[in-house]
Amino acid sequence: MNTKTSVMPTVAVAPGAVAKNAGASPSVQLLLKYVVWIWLVGLVIVFGLLNKFFFTTSNLQNILTQATVLGLLGLAASLPLLVGEIDLSIAGNMGISSAIGALAILQLHMPTFLGVIVGVGAATLIGFFNGLCITRLRMVSLIETLGMMIILQGGLLAITQGATITDFTDAYTWVGQTTVGGWPVMPLVLFVGFIGMAVLLRRTVFGRKLYATGGNAAAAHVAGIRVNKVKIVAFTLSGFIAGIAGYFLASWQMAITSDQGEGFLLYSIAAPIIGGVSVFGGRGDTWGILGGVLLLTVIHVGLAVVNVPSFYVDMIGGFLIFIAVAVDAIRVGMGGTR
Amino acid sequence: MADDYLIEVDDCIKRYGGVVALKGVSLRVRKGSVHGLLGENGAGKSTLVKIIAGIVQATSGTMRFNGEEIVDADVKAMEEKGVFLVTQEPMIVEPMTVADNLMLGRWPARSGFVRDRHMMALATSFLEEANLDPRRLASTLSVVEKRKLNILRALHSGGKLIILDEPTTALTMADKHQLFTFMKQLRAQSVSFLFISHYNEEILEICDEVSVLRDGQMIGQGQVVSHLDSSALSEMVIGRDVHLFKRVTDEAKGDVVWTLRDVRASGLSVDRLDIRKGEIIGFAGLPGSGAKELGRAIYGLMPSARGFLDESGVAHALPRDPAEALRTGIAFLSEDRLRDGIIAIQSIAENMTLSSLPAVSRFGWVSRSAERQLVEKFWRLFAVKAASHAAPLGSLSGGNQQKVLLSRLVATEPRLVILNEPTRGIDVGVKEEVHRLVDDLSHRGVSVIIITSDIEEMLRIVDRVALFVDGRISAIEPAHGLTKEDVFEMAYSASDRSVSASHQPLH
Repeated sequence: MNTKTSVMPTVAVAPGAVAKNAGASPSVQLLLKYVVWIWLVGLVIVFGLLNKFFFTTSNLQNILTQATVLGLLGLAASLPLLVGEIDLSIAGNMGISSAIGALAILQLHMPTFLGVIVGVGAATLIGFFNGLCITRLRMVSLIETLGMMIILQGGLLAITQGATITDFTDAYTWVGQTTVGGWPVMPLVLFVGFIGMAVLLRRTVFGRKLYATGGNAAAAHVAGIRVNKVKIVAFTLSGFIAGIAGYFLASWQMAITSDQGEGFLLYSIAAPIIGGVSVFGGRGDTWGILGGVLLLTVIHVGLAVVNVPSFYVDMIGGFLIFIAVAVDAIRVGMGGTR
Repeated sequence: MADDYLIEVDDCIKRYGGVVALKGVSLRVRKGSVHGLLGENGAGKSTLVKIIAGIVQATSGTMRFNGEEIVDADVKAMEEKGVFLVTQEPMIVEPMTVADNLMLGRWPARSGFVRDRHMMALATSFLEEANLDPRRLASTLSVVEKRKLNILRALHSGGKLIILDEPTTALTMADKHQLFTFMKQLRAQSVSFLFISHYNEEILEICDEVSVLRDGQMIGQGQVVSHLDSSALSEMVIGRDVHLFKRVTDEAKGDVVWTLRDVRASGLSVDRLDIRKGEIIGFAGLPGSGAKELGRAIYGLMPSARGFLDESGVAHALPRDPAEALRTGIAFLSEDRLRDGIIAIQSIAENMTLSSLPAVSRFGWVSRSAERQLVEKFWRLFAVKAASHAAPLGSLSGGNQQKVLLSRLVATEPRLVILNEPTRGIDVGVKEEVHRLVDDLSHRGVSVIIITSDIEEMLRIVDRVALFVDGRISAIEPAHGLTKEDVFEMAYSASDRSVSASHQPLH
């Protein structure tokens, strides 16, 4: 009857592990909780000292604009992570869905708004399909979405025939290009997205269900939560957000390349994890995700601004991410919670 | 004679920051004996055994092993001397063989290659008496076989003192008996055990001596068990007289509200069972007899089960999943808190309201005030002891975790409650609290099903006992006047396994 021992990662959160944090004082815990922000402020100061330009308004705008696409994608990556799954296909989804939308406008002569809806709709469907595969067919999300990623990347190459899509309508590029009083409108979307996510996670019943499912799916099931449904909604919402991110990237870049979005994949997964989202599910909050997104963007932009030769940018960037993750691991080791 | 003792701890003090966990504790364990260690959660049992096992260091005090003074020994040093702590979680690598696990990390090897045949030969001779096949995959072992393997591993590594931290958790009665026989066998070979348990009966059955910790102090050290009884043990543990709760049953009360009909699943076949309003009914039976299975089926945890659960004459199919069961007014307590009960990393409040989110929300929005009200109500009602509503549930003691889970269940305002091992792994004091809470629930008209392997406990708190044999209900008897022996008699005699089982001691 009880012969089958649990394969859930519940042992990882055995009572002893939690009890230990009684040692760290509340202020230390608060500090640890938002260590990503401390790290962020530190890097901003360092980059600013290395180059005064870093502190200019135009650079700040640049950072926020760049952070918009990564931020949306980070949110999209967080939803599957919070329920204890992972989605590697969101960057691929972002690329192909934007191409589908753009081609609907350019080749099928759909109105711009309809084309954008078609693109985002396609992304949502892809997310929904991932969710179905992982719950109903019990496919392992890591491999299922890896396969999906390759399909979507290949699909993008196929429908673009290797060419870059350009010549968008003005309406299509409006969001990516418009400024109001010298400020681009893109970052507004970033903040709306994060506020929306924060509300969803903190204040809604669905947020509770997300955390419960990720925290202990077996317990959530017994407590009357339809775990599979929660996971499907998480993946669907993730696909929807990836579709929005895809439209913004295309609108901002005014181009869709045949490998659109690929460079974002690892950063979009890294950002929430750096910000404290657990790969085992159930842990993480919006502030952390935002911190992770801004940190990665600052590293990216900062290295360019201080004129690090391009051959070294990836290596140094990777190194800084490495340190951030190590610091986070120490934080978890000291018993910080979400 | 001092050299009778394998381990001697004297005036042991342990401070964690400002908290004093052990206030000058002494403990002596004889060679070739089973020594019980009793105490409520937080009394200092784990701290004491961790010090003995070298996992944490005492703030002050002395320790001698085999007459030899031990100074600053860590886990490795203590294991070399022969002290092993075997925890509740069996540390078994499931995809490997029994032999691999037996010698985990100490495989006989030559220039980096494991000498498989040699290892098998060693394991075969070592495991002969324990009746374990070294070639089996560890994943095929039963829970009790895994526990045995853990003990054997410690012995194989030269263990002389084995510390068992609640080794009977999740074991059936037969398993428990098997484990105890095994321990007695080893005791005859002069292995010593330090045995931590919450159950008085277990201590009385297996231990030679017992020591009781209360609030970081040793209340009784090395008491000879044959001079003690269960209530004397409880009194030492809690420090006052324990009045064991006894339900006052009134057989004529209440109309039949719930009727189970034609329930069929693999290994389960129940034609009819009537449950009255406000009745507490116990499901008893050997493992696999259908008692637990029926409980799960009623709550929608056996999707393959077919059948009906009528409420007040209205026919309903069995719920398909827990969500549907909850909507039908049925609530369920898991037998294994850590596996599918608590969400350890989440707060007490979030855990409490998890099954009644509709009641604390509107249009999908959680109302903080409604939530706080609900949490505060049950916090008081169940006397939860914790720093704040926001504390992660995993940081609480077992008893308090159970109270939070019971709160979660009662908050759904159920009309039928299924409690699976409601007092497993919790203190004597909290146990009695739980019994009273369940009794209260029934007086408010809730029908209760209790499924527990602790038959003595069951007989004190239920009105009727339904006895399960081979997936069927073989008898339903009023609990009043029944003894534990009667129940076992019925469970075994009605079963085909009666020949082999009738010789097993009870519990």
